[in-house]
Amino acid sequence: MEKFAKAFPSKPLTAKTAKPWALAGVVGSGNLEVLLERGGRPSDTMECHVETSIPGYKASWLAALADFAHHYPAGGTKVTINDQGAPPVLVTLRLRQAYDHLIKGDK
Amino acid sequence: MTRGPLFHEQTARRRIAALLDPRSFDELLPPPERITSPYLAQLGIPVSFDDGVVIGRAKIGGKKIYIAAQVGQFVGGAVGEIHGAKLTGLFKAAARDKVPCVLIIESGGVRLHEGSAGEIAIAETMRAIFECRAKKVPTIAVIASDIGAYGGIGILSTCCDFRVMTEHGRLGISGPIVIEKWMGKKAYDSANRALVWKTSGGKTKYLLGDADALVHDSAAAIRDAIAKLLGKSSPVSLAAIKARQKELEKRLKRFGETADPDAVWKAMGVRDIAAASLASGPEFAAMAKRGK
Repeated sequence: MEKFAKAFPSKPLTAKTAKPWALAGVVGSGNLEVLLERGGRPSDTMECHVETSIPGYKASWLAALADFAHHYPAGGTKVTINDQGAPPVLVTLRLRQAYDHLIKGDK
Repeated sequence: MTRGPLFHEQTARRRIAALLDPRSFDELLPPPERITSPYLAQLGIPVSFDDGVVIGRAKIGGKKIYIAAQVGQFVGGAVGEIHGAKLTGLFKAAARDKVPCVLIIESGGVRLHEGSAGEIAIAETMRAIFECRAKKVPTIAVIASDIGAYGGIGILSTCCDFRVMTEHGRLGISGPIVIEKWMGKKAYDSANRALVWKTSGGKTKYLLGDADALVHDSAAAIRDAIAKLLGKSSPVSLAAIKARQKELEKRLKRFGETADPDAVWKAMGVRDIAAASLASGPEFAAMAKRGK
C-alpha cells in the first residue's frame, strides 16, 4: 500500500452543485473509487488523498491529478481515492465522472 | 426481450437508482462518513468507503422500504464486520419501523480476511431477519447476479420471506470451485457452466421452490416482482418449518443420488429440456409445472 496527499492549484468550483458529494467507480481489480466532496479549503486548491494497493507510481498519480485540477474548476473540493491498480486513463475518467455527478447530479 | 441495461451488469449504486422511485433514496452511512474495514487496512488491502454494501431508506411505487445492495466487484461482495453490521442494523431498523426490507445480493459469503467477525455479523443479520419475520415485516432477497448468493449469504437469503431470482442468479452454500476441490472434477466440474447453472441457477431454484419469482434480467421486472411481494409475508411457525423439513427430506430422497440435473428438471415437470434451457426466466416459469 502507498498513501499520500497533496493539494493542487485549481480555479474555484461553481457556487452551486447538484450534490454535496459524488462517488465514481468501485474498488475492484484494475479499478478505483473516487469520492469528490465540496468543502475542501482553501477555495483555490483541490485537496487530494490517495491510497493505492500498488506502490511506486506516485509521479504518475500526481501528474494525473495536477492535470485534472488544471483543466477543471475544482478549487474547494476534496478528492479521496481508494485504488486497486487502475491505469492512469481510468483515474482521469473516474475523476471526470465524479465531477460530472457532483455538478449535474446522478442522471 | 429485455429493455434497458441488464441488471446483472450494473453496479450496486446503479441498481438502487434503477429500482427505486426517482430521488427517493436516502443513503445511510454514505461514503463521506468513511466507515471502512479496519482489518483490510491492517492487511494492506484497499478499503472501500461503503465497505461493499450500499444501504438506505427509499420508496418503491410510493411504498416505504429499507434497501441494501451489495457491491460484487469489491472483494466479491464478501461480508466483513462493517458490511455485516450495516446489514444487521438495516434489518433491525426494518423490524423497529415495520418497513419491508429488500436485499440485493451479490456475495460469496463471509470475507475470509475477517472471518470470525464476518460469520458473527451474518448470524446477527439472520437474527434481525427473524425479528422482522416475527413481526410480519416482509423481507425480500433479490439474487440476480453471476456472483449470486453463496456461503453465509446463501443461507441468509433463505432466511428471508421471499427470493426473487433471474436466470443469471445463483444460489447455493458451497460455490462450484469449492465443491470441485472437495469432490473432484469427475463429480462436479466447475468449468461446466451449463452444469453449474443447472444445479444452482435461477431456473432450477425456481423449479425446486427455493425462489418465489423468476423474472427478466432488468430493473423494471425486478421492481415489479418486489412490488408484488411488499404486502406479503410468510409466517415462521412450527407447522411451516415442519412442512418445509418434509419437503426437503422428500427432495433428498428423490434427487439425492441424481448426477444429472436434466433428470431433476424432468422429474419437476419440465417436458422439453432443450426449449426450457433456452427460454427466458418468465417463459421458463410459464413452461414449468412446478411440482411441489
